[in-house]
Amino acid sequence: MSAPLLRLDTVSRAYGARRVVDEVSLDLHPGARHALIGPNGAGKSTLLHLIAGTLRPTSGRIHYAGHDIHRWPAHRRARAGIARTWQHPTLARPLTVVQNVLLAVPGQHMAVLRERPRASAAALDALAQVGLAEHAQWPTSQLSYGDQRRLEVAVALAAQPRLLLLDEPSAGLATTEVARLVELIRALPTDIAVLLVDHNLDVVSAVADTVTVLHHGRHLTTGTPSDVRAHPDVRRVYLAEADHTDHVPTTPGAANGPSAAVPPVLRVRNLRAGHHGAPVLTGVALDVQAGRVSAVVGRNGAGKTTLINTIAGLHPALSGTEIVLNDRLVTGLSARRRCRAGIGLVPQGRRLFAGLTVAEHLALPRPHPGRPRTVTARQILDLFPALAERRHHRPHQLSGGEQQMLALARALLAGPQVLLLDEPSEGLAPAIVGQLAAIITGLAATGSAVLLAEQNLALALDIAHDVAVLDRGTLALHAPAADLRADPARLHDVLAVPTGST
Amino acid sequence: MGLSGLVNPYTITALDGVAYGLLLFVIAAGLTLIFGVAGVFSMAHGTLYLAGAYIAWQLADGGWVGLGLALAAAVLVGAVGGAGLAAAVRPLTDRPLDQVLATLGVAYIAADGFSTVFGAEPRSVDPPRALAGSVSLGGYQYPVYRLGFIAVAALIVVLLIWLVERSRTGAVVRAVVADPDMAEATGLRTRRTRAAVLVGGGVLAVTAGVLGAPVIGPAPGVDATILVYSLIVCVVGGLGSIRGALLAALGVGQVLTLGVALVPGAAAFVLAAAMLVALTVRHRPSLAGRPA
Amino acid sequence: MTTTLTPPSTATTEHRPVGRAVRLVRVASGIVVAVAVALPWMVNAYVVSLAATALVMAVLAMSAQLLVGLAGQPPLGQAAYLLVGAYTAATLATLTNLGPIHLLAATTAGAIAAAVTGLLAVRVRATTFLMVTFGVGELVHAAASQWVPGGSEGTHTPPVVALPGLPPMVRPGWVYLYVLACTLVIGAAVIVLTRTRFALLLRGIAAHEPRVQAAGHHTSRLLLAAYTLAGAIAGAAGALLVAVTRYVSPADAAMGISAIALAAALIGSGSMIGACAAAILLVAARDWAGGLLSGHGSTLLGLSFLALAYLPRHRLAGLFTRRDREGT
Repeated sequence: MSAPLLRLDTVSRAYGARRVVDEVSLDLHPGARHALIGPNGAGKSTLLHLIAGTLRPTSGRIHYAGHDIHRWPAHRRARAGIARTWQHPTLARPLTVVQNVLLAVPGQHMAVLRERPRASAAALDALAQVGLAEHAQWPTSQLSYGDQRRLEVAVALAAQPRLLLLDEPSAGLATTEVARLVELIRALPTDIAVLLVDHNLDVVSAVADTVTVLHHGRHLTTGTPSDVRAHPDVRRVYLAEADHTDHVPTTPGAANGPSAAVPPVLRVRNLRAGHHGAPVLTGVALDVQAGRVSAVVGRNGAGKTTLINTIAGLHPALSGTEIVLNDRLVTGLSARRRCRAGIGLVPQGRRLFAGLTVAEHLALPRPHPGRPRTVTARQILDLFPALAERRHHRPHQLSGGEQQMLALARALLAGPQVLLLDEPSEGLAPAIVGQLAAIITGLAATGSAVLLAEQNLALALDIAHDVAVLDRGTLALHAPAADLRADPARLHDVLAVPTGST
Repeated sequence: MGLSGLVNPYTITALDGVAYGLLLFVIAAGLTLIFGVAGVFSMAHGTLYLAGAYIAWQLADGGWVGLGLALAAAVLVGAVGGAGLAAAVRPLTDRPLDQVLATLGVAYIAADGFSTVFGAEPRSVDPPRALAGSVSLGGYQYPVYRLGFIAVAALIVVLLIWLVERSRTGAVVRAVVADPDMAEATGLRTRRTRAAVLVGGGVLAVTAGVLGAPVIGPAPGVDATILVYSLIVCVVGGLGSIRGALLAALGVGQVLTLGVALVPGAAAFVLAAAMLVALTVRHRPSLAGRPA
Repeated sequence: MTTTLTPPSTATTEHRPVGRAVRLVRVASGIVVAVAVALPWMVNAYVVSLAATALVMAVLAMSAQLLVGLAGQPPLGQAAYLLVGAYTAATLATLTNLGPIHLLAATTAGAIAAAVTGLLAVRVRATTFLMVTFGVGELVHAAASQWVPGGSEGTHTPPVVALPGLPPMVRPGWVYLYVLACTLVIGAAVIVLTRTRFALLLRGIAAHEPRVQAAGHHTSRLLLAAYTLAGAIAGAAGALLVAVTRYVSPADAAMGISAIALAAALIGSGSMIGACAAAILLVAARDWAGGLLSGHGSTLLGLSFLALAYLPRHRLAGLFTRRDREGT
C-alpha cells in the first residue's frame, strides 16, 4: 500500500476544558472514499475544520502529502490540494455560477481581465462534472437548493484537489437529489481522496469504502460500512440500540398508554420550517400532556433541534404552522412571550451565558406574575446540590453535567408548563445521564409536560411515556414507549434501515 | 519629603491625564456597551457629550444651583436622546451599516443646530465658584475643580462597574450580549434592554459633557474629537468590555496629556499602535464558527 | 458619468439581449461626458469651481467604492489618504508646478500611507472595519495638524501646470477641464480594475470570505492590496484637490469628507459610475443647495444620510446582515 495522503496523529481540539476532538488518529490513502459518522457533538465537522485549516488543533499533528501541515493557514492547505464544502451552501450569491467556480480555479494571474481559455475550460469542465454546465451564466441565487449543493462540489473540484472534504453534502436534499449526489460522488476521479461527513447512512454506505465512527470526539472504530454497522459499540452509540443496563431504571409509573381524555398542554399542528431555503420539517403534529414525557427521536439531522427551536420561537415557522399552548395560539409570539406563556427551553448545547456566574443565571428568569411560581431558586439549588457549591463559577468552569443542570434550572425557574429538552444527554457520562433521567421523570411526576428530543434512544425509551420518530420532515411513528420497549425492532426499522429509494 | 519628590510637572500632567482618562471612560463606557448589546456603533455619541457641554455653558452660573440644574437637564436630554437613538436604529436591526449612517445623519444635523444656536466660536465654561480656585500640590498650583472631577468620575466608574458586573440589571445586559436569542427564550426583554442601554449610554455621555465642560469646553468639532477618542478606547479595550474600556481610557488619557508633553506630536502614532496591538492580539483569524 | 463602460453589476449578468441597454448606457455616457466638457462655457465661474470640487469627491468616492462595493468592507477614513496626497502635492509644488507629477507623487504617497495603516484595518471586518478606518482617519487628521507645514492653518500653493510649456492654470474653467481629464483617466483605470480577477476575488470575499480562503487565497492580503489601491486613488484625489483650491489644510480630512465618500459609494450600489454620480449630487446638495439655505449644508447632508439609511435600497443584498452561524 502507498504512503497515506493524509495522516492525523492524535489530533485534539479543545474549547476550554471540553475536548471536542479527542486524540483522533486517522489515515487516508490516495483515492480513498472515507466517511466519518457519529452522533451529534461527536466532533465530525470540527475534524473537517481541523483538516481544512479553518481551525487549528490544540495538540497533535496533521501530515498531508509528506508535510506537517497542522500550523498551515487554510489558504495554504487549499493550495496544497485540500478542497472542501460547507454544511450549508456558502456560495458567493451575487456572482454567476461560473464565476463562483472561477474563484477556485488555480494558476490564474490576479491582473487578468478575461479568464484564460484554459481557466474557463477548467471551470466549465467542473460544472459539466456536476451537470450544471447549462446554468453557467445564471446568477447563483437563482439556483435551486440541490443545484447549489452540486455547485459547491463543482467549486471544490475546480481547485483540482487531491483531497476533497465534504461536510454533510446530502443535508436538506430530497430523495432524488440525494441519488444524484451519490452518483456524482461515485463518478469522481479515482485520484481524488474523499473524506465526507454525513448523517445519511444510505449515502455513506453507497459512497464510502471505509467508515470511521466518532463518539464524544473520540475514535470509536474504523472499518468497511458493513463491519461498522455490525460493530456492537456502534450499534449502541450511533444506531442507538436500546441498552437498559447503562441507566438507573427510572421507568415512569404511569406508562400505560396515553390518556386521551386529558387535553394536551402543548398542541402542535402542521409545523413547517426550513434552513437556508431547504425544507426541514414538512408538517409535524404532536401533543404533549401534563405529567407526561413525550420523546421525539430520529436520526442525526432529522430536524429535532429545528422542531424544538421552532416551538420555542427561536426558529421561524413557515406559514400554516399551528402551535397552541393551553388553547392559546402562540405561533406568532416572540420567544420571550412564549417563555412567559409557559414554554421552557433547555437548548441543545446548553447555550449558557458566557461570563455569567451560576448565581446570575439563576437570578435572570422571572416567572409570569399570573402563574404561581412553581420553583424558587432555593428549591432549585436543593434539586441540584452540585450547583449550590458552584454559585460563583462561570459556565466554562463547570463540568458538562453541571452545565446541563444549570440549563435545566434556568428553564425551570421561569415556571414553565411545558419543558422542551433538546438532547439533554449529549456529551454526558452514563452516570450523569441516569441522574438526569431521574430528574426529568420527577418533573413529569409533579405535573410538568415534557417534550424531549433525544438521540440517545435508550434514555428516551427509559423515561418517555410515548415516543415519536422524526423522519423526512414528519413524524413517522408514534407509539407508547412501553410498546417500543417490548418491541425495539420497530424503532430500528425507522431509525437505522433505509426506507427510501436506494 | 518623599511626596514633594513625587510632584513634578510630569506627575501634574499625569494627574490631568487621569482626569481626561476618566472623562473618556464615562463616555466610552456607554459606547462600548451600546456596541456590545445592540451592535450599534453610534456616530452621535460625541454629539451627546457636546450637548452636555452646551447645557453646562447655558445653565452653569458659577453656583451649585446652576450645576444641579445642568445635571438634571443632562439626565433628561441624555434619556431623550438615547431613547430617540434607540427608536431611530430599531427599524434598522441587523443592518449595522445603515445604523451608522442614521446616527451619522443625526450627528450632522445636531452639529449644524449647535453652531446655529451657540455660534461657531469655542465657549469656555467656568466651574462652580466653590471649586474655582486652585490648591497647592507640592508647590504646584492645581485647579480644585479637576480634583473634584476626578473624585466624581471615579465614583461614577465604581458605580458603573458595580451596576454592570454585580447587579441583576448588569447580568441581564451581559446575558443579552452573550446570546440574545437564548436571553429572549429565558424571558428577558432583549429589546427593552437594548433601548435601556442606549438611554443609559446617552445619560452618561451628556452628564460627562456637563461635568467635563470646564475641562473640554463646547466648540464645533468637539463632538468628532470625543467620538474618535472614545472609539479608540473601545477598540483598545475590546468592544463590549467595561473593564477593558477603563484600562484603555486611562491609557489614552495619559497618551493625550503626558505623552503630548513628553513627545509632542507622537500621540496619534501611539494610539494607532495601541489599536494595532489590541486588534492583533484579539482578532486572530477565526472564521470557522462554532464547533459542531 | 465618467466613462463609457457599463457598471460591473450589470456586466456580470450579460447572458443575452443586453446589447441595447449597453448601447443606451454608452450613448448616455457620451452625452454626459460631452456636457461635462462643455460645462465651463455654459455656467458661471463659481459653479465651475464647484463642479471641479465635485469631481475630486467623485474620485474619492471611487476609492471608497473599491472597498465597500467590491470587497464589502465600508471605509470611513478615506479622506486621510486624500490629505496625504494633497500635502504631497503641496510639498512638491515648491519644486515643480507640473500637475501630472503632483498626481503621480500623491498617488504613490496615498498608496504607501494606506499600505501601512491598512495593516490595522484588514484585521477586522464589517462594522468594526468601519470603526477602525474611522479611527485611523481621525488620527491621520490629528497627526497632520501637528506635523504638516502650516499646521492647522493650512498652506497655499501656486497654480499647477497641466503639461510642460503651458501657462499655469488660474481660471476655474481650465482647472476644471484638467481635473475632468484626470478623473476620466482614473475612472477608466478603476473600471478596468473592476474587471480583473482580483476584483472577482474581492467580490468573493464580500460574499463569503472562507470560501475564498478555501480556494487558496490569503484574503487579508487581498484586502490589504485593495486598501492600498483605494489609498492610491484617494491620494490622487488629494493632488486634484490642491489643483482646484490651491490650498490644503488638515480640515480637508475632516470626518465629513470620508462620510460623503462612503455615502456616495453606498448610494452607488456597487457601481463606480453610480458612486461618482452620487458624490457629485452630495457635493451639490452640501454646497450649492446649502448656500441657498443660508449655510445649513450639513443639515442637508445629515438628512441625506438619514434618507440613505431608511429608504429601501437593494444594494449589497445581505452583505451586512450578520453572518449565519455555522454548526450542526
